[in-house]
Amino acid sequence: MLSGYWIFAPEVIIVVGAIIALFGDLLPGRDRTAAYVGAAIAALAAVLAATGGTAGPMIFGQVEPDEIARFARTGIAALTAVWALWVAGRGMPDERRRDAVALALFAAGGGMLLTMAEDLIIMYIALELSTMPAYVLMGYRRRDVPGLEGALKYFLLAMLTSIIMLYGMSFLYGISGSTAFVELTLEGSGMLGVLGVMLTLVGLFAKMSAAPFHYWAPDAYAGAPAVSVAFVSTVPKIAGIAVMARLLHAVASDVGGLVTIMAVVAAASMLLGNLAALPQSDLRRLMAYSGVAHTGYLFMALAPDTAAGYGAAVFYTIAYAVPSMAIMLVAAEEGAGLADVGKLAARRPLVAWSMVVWLVSLIGIPPLAGFFGKLYVFGSALNAGLVWLVVLGVLTSVVSAGYYFRVVREMFFGEEPAGGVSLERAPAASFALAVMAVATVAIGIGASPLLAALGVVLG
Amino acid sequence: MAETVNGIAFAILAGAAILGAVGMLTTRNVIHAAFWLLESMIAVGGLYLLLQAEYLAVVHVLVYAGAVSVLMLFVIMLTLRRREDSVRPVEVSVAGAVMAFVFGGVVFAAIAAYGDRVAEMPETAPDTAALGELLFTRWALPFEVASLVLLIALVAAVWWSREDKR
Repeated sequence: MLSGYWIFAPEVIIVVGAIIALFGDLLPGRDRTAAYVGAAIAALAAVLAATGGTAGPMIFGQVEPDEIARFARTGIAALTAVWALWVAGRGMPDERRRDAVALALFAAGGGMLLTMAEDLIIMYIALELSTMPAYVLMGYRRRDVPGLEGALKYFLLAMLTSIIMLYGMSFLYGISGSTAFVELTLEGSGMLGVLGVMLTLVGLFAKMSAAPFHYWAPDAYAGAPAVSVAFVSTVPKIAGIAVMARLLHAVASDVGGLVTIMAVVAAASMLLGNLAALPQSDLRRLMAYSGVAHTGYLFMALAPDTAAGYGAAVFYTIAYAVPSMAIMLVAAEEGAGLADVGKLAARRPLVAWSMVVWLVSLIGIPPLAGFFGKLYVFGSALNAGLVWLVVLGVLTSVVSAGYYFRVVREMFFGEEPAGGVSLERAPAASFALAVMAVATVAIGIGASPLLAALGVVLG
Repeated sequence: MAETVNGIAFAILAGAAILGAVGMLTTRNVIHAAFWLLESMIAVGGLYLLLQAEYLAVVHVLVYAGAVSVLMLFVIMLTLRRREDSVRPVEVSVAGAVMAFVFGGVVFAAIAAYGDRVAEMPETAPDTAALGELLFTRWALPFEVASLVLLIALVAAVWWSREDKR
């Protein structure tokens, strides 16, 4: 009877890994070892999640480890492993590593549970588990007062949207008499059902920094260490998209107009994100707005309530998260200002060319991960007849090339930043970056088998 | 008859809860605000009691009215240097008031349009024993995950309050 629960082994060991990392003081080699142990355990969790198979609804129907969940769980664990490896190599700015790695593992565990959630209560508590550590990571430098202020604002806004979400959930429960997604019967509930779904989604919109709920992201990111932003802006997003796919699938047929709402939010996010990113000169702000824009693309795939769309969205989160995390980690090494990466090609040619790969993937140029991600996202939206949204998506992608190529220009033809300190060698961190560069190419080349594993067939 | 009594009790408690919330927002003194919050919490606890959720009512009064309010008073006591600092300016935001009224109107209209269709209720409310059994069987997973969330809160609190270097 208990054998079926092996499928949750990745979540269990990642939480155990987090607790081990917390007690990193007792390990030989202390701080650095704790980070390595965290990376190894997260990598093991990724392997287990990828090979652990899938199952139907489990634990009183509260979780369902299906194909989408398997893909997202693997991605979350793998990205966490790479992040922890980078932290093991370079460390956190001014602070020790092990608490950051422990918190990241907790957040990954929560995110992995979130991808399987089939119940409002599990969804809420897993969402909290995946975002609570983010507040600490964002304010990780304890003596940095502006950074702490940014973290506090982030915390208060996230709490506010959580409360709004709970308020919406209370309506959904009141209407259907159950918190399970499969039993959410909102048919004939009229305005109250729409209100409940909208309020619930507002919480998720804000966590995914979709316009018009994105306003916290640029300020919070700009105040935080770039290495924290690398984690917070990517990994929770994968889990958020996976659970949104589940929730939307559960309610879309009962609530009319959800397609329009999602499409409008997608359009607003793409326009606002891409246009606001253009003048930014801080990489963290630039990537914050770029994240808003990419949330727009993701929502475009979620809008039509098709299996292909949900699969495409989850695939695209990974295709977005890998390069996005990598770029922020390079920003953590070189400095977060756009000028800080000036002449990077002369100093570190390999890193500069990897940056080109990541940026080009984010624009969506073949044969990289981002191209196939966007292809399937646009394809699923086209199949659903959202032609205007796809046209807007293509146009804003062209706009996005403007600010991504500004970074490329800075790296190859920019000015050498004044007073630059040469980085010490950190093989673990370089290895982590190399993994992400290879992954960006490999996910693109292996897109069709990966998507087949997700159950996405583009007709 | 029972319906009427229930209705009157509900009106008193709901009115008290709203009064507490409004009082908390409009008072200029943060200590008074904490006490208004306490009043609102106790009224909400009474609402739970009306719904025959005794356990929830007791826990609500213990945790929110007891622990949280006292914690707030302690925080105010420990962070305020002078008595005058506890007085803050009242910010009147017309836009905020308009938004609150619009939102309240939308919620009210939605509930009014929904009518009084309620899910079938059991004859008697489940007692505390049944609640405990559900919590540790069917809802064991969220219960355990909640303990992890609390652990993170603990780690975070230690992280920000500790002074030592690496």
